[in-house]
Amino acid sequence: MKNEKRHMGLKATNRLSNTAIYILLVVISVVWLLPFVFILLQSFRVESTWQVGYVIPQQWGFDNYIRLWNSDFKRWYLNTLIIALFSAVLVTVIQLCMSYTLSRFRFKMRGPLMRFMLILGMFPGMLTMIILYRVLADLGLTQANAVPGLILVGVASSGMGYYVSKGFFDTIPKSLDEAARVDGATRFQVLYKIILPLAKPIVIYTILTAFMGPWGDFVFARYVAMGTSAGYNVAVGMYSWLTNDQINSWYTTFCAGGVMVALPVTILFLCLQKYYVEGVTGGAVKG
Amino acid sequence: MKVRKFTALLLVLVMVLALCACGSGTEQSSEPSTQPTQQGSSSGTEQSGGDNEQSGGDSEQQGDTGSELAGTYDITVWVPEAAVELTKTQIGNFNSSNEYGITINATVEPVSEADAANNMITDVAAGGDIFFFAQDQLSRMIQAGAVGKLGQGAAQTVSANNDAGTVMAATAGGDIYAYPLTSDNGYFMYYDKSVITDESHLGSMEALIADCEAAGKLFSFQLDDNAWYLASFFFGAGCHNEWTYAEDGTTIEKIDDDFNSPNGIIACKGLKKLLSSPAYNNSSDVSAFANGSAIVVSGTWGYKDALDILGDNLGAAELPSFEVDGQSYHLGSYSGCKLLGVKPQEDAKTGAALNQLALYLTGKDCQMERFQETTWGPSNLEAQADPSVSTPALVAYAAQSAYAVPQPVIPGGWWEFAQVIAIDVKNAADETGYQAALDKYQQSLDALMG
Repeated sequence: MKNEKRHMGLKATNRLSNTAIYILLVVISVVWLLPFVFILLQSFRVESTWQVGYVIPQQWGFDNYIRLWNSDFKRWYLNTLIIALFSAVLVTVIQLCMSYTLSRFRFKMRGPLMRFMLILGMFPGMLTMIILYRVLADLGLTQANAVPGLILVGVASSGMGYYVSKGFFDTIPKSLDEAARVDGATRFQVLYKIILPLAKPIVIYTILTAFMGPWGDFVFARYVAMGTSAGYNVAVGMYSWLTNDQINSWYTTFCAGGVMVALPVTILFLCLQKYYVEGVTGGAVKG
Repeated sequence: MKVRKFTALLLVLVMVLALCACGSGTEQSSEPSTQPTQQGSSSGTEQSGGDNEQSGGDSEQQGDTGSELAGTYDITVWVPEAAVELTKTQIGNFNSSNEYGITINATVEPVSEADAANNMITDVAAGGDIFFFAQDQLSRMIQAGAVGKLGQGAAQTVSANNDAGTVMAATAGGDIYAYPLTSDNGYFMYYDKSVITDESHLGSMEALIADCEAAGKLFSFQLDDNAWYLASFFFGAGCHNEWTYAEDGTTIEKIDDDFNSPNGIIACKGLKKLLSSPAYNNSSDVSAFANGSAIVVSGTWGYKDALDILGDNLGAAELPSFEVDGQSYHLGSYSGCKLLGVKPQEDAKTGAALNQLALYLTGKDCQMERFQETTWGPSNLEAQADPSVSTPALVAYAAQSAYAVPQPVIPGGWWEFAQVIAIDVKNAADETGYQAALDKYQQSLDALMG
């Protein structure tokens, strides 16, 4: 009798702690999700364009999205998309080649090169902004030509981000390479036909991060575009709506812009989530 | 051992490289700044002064000097979003109406007047040839060589046609560097007539706070994190904050400041009254009206939006007075303006043509048009006198200007440490606390002087 009671007590305790945990999780996810829901709702509010004290719109409509479409936003969005797509492709190619090289080849400067890049990577990127700007300005890749300029800057240093994928490549047995080589595969074929299919998560991870970087870039993009609307990316362009004489007529449109910016990234993440997690942790198995 | 040596060597190399990069970076960034300053001050002063006088003299002998300026000029113009279309039209009008045969082929880009200095300093050479900016950026503009001294002719026109405060704002070390564009950059009070029903309360901060508290509404005044608004209480209590600069327009020679004084304590007491009220709300954005505010201290830029939100209930008035120890002190404010800058040009002829365009854009007609389009208050005396140039906001601004201090050029650091006073006063219990806040302020101020 006594025992049974205790047993019940244990069950009840379990249920209690589970309830507590779930309540906590619900609270956390509400706190986390609320801002996004808020932005989404604001973007459909059409009765006024400034900030208001309530969340649910009184009148719903697509006015803000239509206004967005008719503003410079279209161009900014396209600029960002071009930069992000080019970066995603080029950075991925360069980074994977780099990782493959450092993982599989043994050459004299391999160690020093890796150490050199490690040290270079320790300098905050911000430090290089001024000189990079000058270089770009002299090449004529600023202001209206900011898009190729930003692609160039984004891609140029990409080789240095080899760590994670090299770590992953190191975990793929070398004997696979050797077998392929014996069968007459070239080095490139080994990478393309053997390594990459095995390293799918890391490839996707690389593409994603390469896409995300320029997608959310603000500081350098603003610096390079320097007051020329044609060269803005979305972040810089939308920032220009935030001045104190503009914000009240653009606030809801700004929210709509935020939704548009979040959309492709969200979709991408939802589709590739599985690989993303594998990719992040995959490289950590062996450094 | 070998590896370690190598790593050390590499580190040294990288550091040296980084230093070089920094070095050339600053060199690069200062290069465009010295270039135009040279143009603007040493060899160029006479040069650009020369053309400006030349073009100033043009009005007398239009004929041959006029034809000298004839030509097409490709320039970039930076104006705030709200004025982009209007500026395009105005430049078009200038092209068709000017008697010098000047044709301006302008690319008009939306750049906020608050960002103009940041953008110009990045790269003067690539910056706008003509740009709108807020007056407090003048010293940075001069330092970067983004503006040059106006020639005598232009300087005379500017100082004769615009109100004294704006001319002062465009002046540094005795020379005029920019063209006044508006005279409305200050703050006053917007209120909701449905809450503040008794107009006699408008003069008293205490009565207004009581009205707001009684109606469960908020009194919005951005004091917590903005020294521009915070200074209102100190100026109201009779404090001064004046800055004298050396000839170069950037080195501080003298600070005349008595925030840390018995008057400062009075200001703190008044401040505490508002800060400790449940009605207090830290905002200067008129959208606060949509969020439960009955009073918002803001500027003319918020007028249109405030009108959209409140409609007929919108009122505007000068700031109220606060009462300390039986004596009443009228809240002060800053008054300021927007300026139009012309980048020093390598080619003297272009400089002279741009000078003509600048005079046109800041002239009476353009300021009137700008008022009609954007409700910016003109700095031009004739435009100010025009009866059509009047909105409740501009009336309130004008009423407040009797208590306003023309905003001097203030180093960025001041805004950072002065704003802390509000938080300190909020947390202080009594006069000792206020004194401690002001002592802290004084310390930072002394440190600024070195």
